[in-house]
Amino acid sequence: MSTHQMMALHADTAGGGDSDARQQAPAILEVDNLSVNFGPLRAVDGVSLTVREGDIYALAGESGCGKSTLAYSLLGMVPPPGVVSTGQITFRGHTLTGMDRRKLDQIRGAEISMVFQAAMNAFNPVITIGTQVEHVLQAHPDSFPTAREGREYFEYLLRLVRLDPEVVWKGYESRLSGGMKQRVAIALGLLLRPSVLVLDEPTTALDILNQRLVIDILNDLHETLGVTIIFITHDLALVAELANRVAVMYAGRLVETGTIDEIFYDERRHPYVSALIRAVPSVTADTELIKPIPGRVPSLAELPPGCRFAPRCAQAIDICQSVDPPLLLDAAEHGVACHVVNAGLSEKGLLK
Amino acid sequence: MTAAETTPATDPALLLQVDGLSHRYPTSTAPLPALNGVDLAVGQDSVTAIVGESGCGKTTLGRMITGLLKPSDGRILYQGQDIWNLGRADWNQYRRAVQIVQQDPYASLNPGLSIRETLRPGLLHHKIVPRREVQGEILRLLELVGLDADEAFLRRFPHQLSGGQRQRLAVARAVSLRPQLVVADEPTSMLDVSIRVAVLDLLLSLRAEQGLAYVFISHDFGVVRYIARGGRIIVMFFGEVVEDGPAEEVIKHPRHPYSYLLLESIPIPDPRTARRRRQEIATDAVDDLAEQPPAEEGCIFANRCPFVEDACRQARPPMAEVSPGHRAACLFPERVPQLSEAIPEIAGV
Repeated sequence: MSTHQMMALHADTAGGGDSDARQQAPAILEVDNLSVNFGPLRAVDGVSLTVREGDIYALAGESGCGKSTLAYSLLGMVPPPGVVSTGQITFRGHTLTGMDRRKLDQIRGAEISMVFQAAMNAFNPVITIGTQVEHVLQAHPDSFPTAREGREYFEYLLRLVRLDPEVVWKGYESRLSGGMKQRVAIALGLLLRPSVLVLDEPTTALDILNQRLVIDILNDLHETLGVTIIFITHDLALVAELANRVAVMYAGRLVETGTIDEIFYDERRHPYVSALIRAVPSVTADTELIKPIPGRVPSLAELPPGCRFAPRCAQAIDICQSVDPPLLLDAAEHGVACHVVNAGLSEKGLLK
Repeated sequence: MTAAETTPATDPALLLQVDGLSHRYPTSTAPLPALNGVDLAVGQDSVTAIVGESGCGKTTLGRMITGLLKPSDGRILYQGQDIWNLGRADWNQYRRAVQIVQQDPYASLNPGLSIRETLRPGLLHHKIVPRREVQGEILRLLELVGLDADEAFLRRFPHQLSGGQRQRLAVARAVSLRPQLVVADEPTSMLDVSIRVAVLDLLLSLRAEQGLAYVFISHDFGVVRYIARGGRIIVMFFGEVVEDGPAEEVIKHPRHPYSYLLLESIPIPDPRTARRRRQEIATDAVDDLAEQPPAEEGCIFANRCPFVEDACRQARPPMAEVSPGHRAACLFPERVPQLSEAIPEIAGV
């Protein structure tokens, strides 16, 4: 056994048998063969993944890979003219895709809530934050027995995101810094006590110290409230610091899914993921080993016939040019969509 | 800076010198100036990286170095001459020799100009090549930056290019005038991760081939470490330079508390390092400090500094040498701890 594998095992036991616990945790959100079309273009193409209770799940990828479209579809909010063209999304046994609007509204905000990117612009500048929170409470009258309790819960959340409720409640958004606004937006997203919080690029546009703060706060909230977190990011550093599981997308396809240790260290990895990790200049990486990925992401209008990464892949073989590889999961639910990587694997080690 | 006024810099290796540069935006209601007493020296064929968070004045500084903005106070010397006292011909030469690549390639290119028209006017105006060779020069430039060097490509417009291609075009436009210094203001922050390093490699290869000097502005220490190998890093905080030293030295042994806090806080794209660091570092201390306003008297970092003393609030600490060629504006640089083990270990120190 290589030191590599030993460290991975050690990490698992140190984390309280993370992989075992995961097998037992029930699924909270299941995406099955989901495709989203914008006219003839398929922004999300046949994606299946399972988010379990208590996960901090990262949807990672570069711009245009479909990660945002996928996340928006979780809340039935694909912007027109986008439509869910195949597959379904299930939340605790309820099928969200095709659910009627009134039922969906009971789930959105209260069960699955979203913190949008650009929290800077999420607030109305001419009314106080407190008034905006009251509006949310009025729109969801059943969420708390009294308005006062709603306000108290919001103040509790503000303290969890390390802000002073006195200042925030009476204040206007112009008095808050970008980092503070992002934290107020997170508190607001949690106001109706959702079981799933979806965040779109939660640290993009924040300064380093505020990024660190948001990472710590999300870790705390996950622990204190037990909320399941799904976040969209293009930043591998955020994945490494925050997530326990990751789904990496490329040109609309899910190319790899697994724990962060599998994604960063496993020997069985998608060539795109390995290349992406090598492409990040960081303060810790060996500068000599940093390499860009040649070429560029294909346009959705001109997708290659086989594997979408094949034109940029150093390991591509003949079959990659003609057949799009399926995502094959092993027993630990580590999935890779690559002919080359999966060829070395015995059939019985795979779930599907 | 009276000494510098009487004896203009004569060091021939120095391309650009910034002397006591200050700027206050006239409409600003901010209590502090955008830049306050910034000194900087850029040698020929060197890389000087300016690092700081948003609002630290790094973009203002870059615009001033390129002559796009006139400072309220202080001087910028290009080859020993104050750029705001140059005659018309010298000013034209300076504007040719110092170019800028801006952050947002979606905004820095004129959407109404084809690629040919983006590159042509500069070549003609500065008479870089004879008129009949302009077409060939444009194709050469496109090849140089890794774009398709053919006629059809020249007829394209910026909206037909990807972000990476746009930024390559912006680089081609900057180097088309055969500059000696290029100010690169966050040139990769809008680009996807997979092509970010490719653009950095392009900048590095141009430096090697054409002897370019760079002032590289970024908030990302990882990117800065990659481009500024062998160069210098200057850390800015609210308009002031707080640390200045050799790149690897600043990243591995920061001696100003601000640089230290930044480096300790950077999210690391490596789960094992991240976990190890989480155990070593108590970030609670950062919480209250991160939102404090800059101090209006004494050391500008005093309100956020974990090592602050009364003396820090008396007067602005001067830049003092902490090791050869490495200076920090801190009265107590010895109090700045070593970075947590995790970073230098991985970096292979």
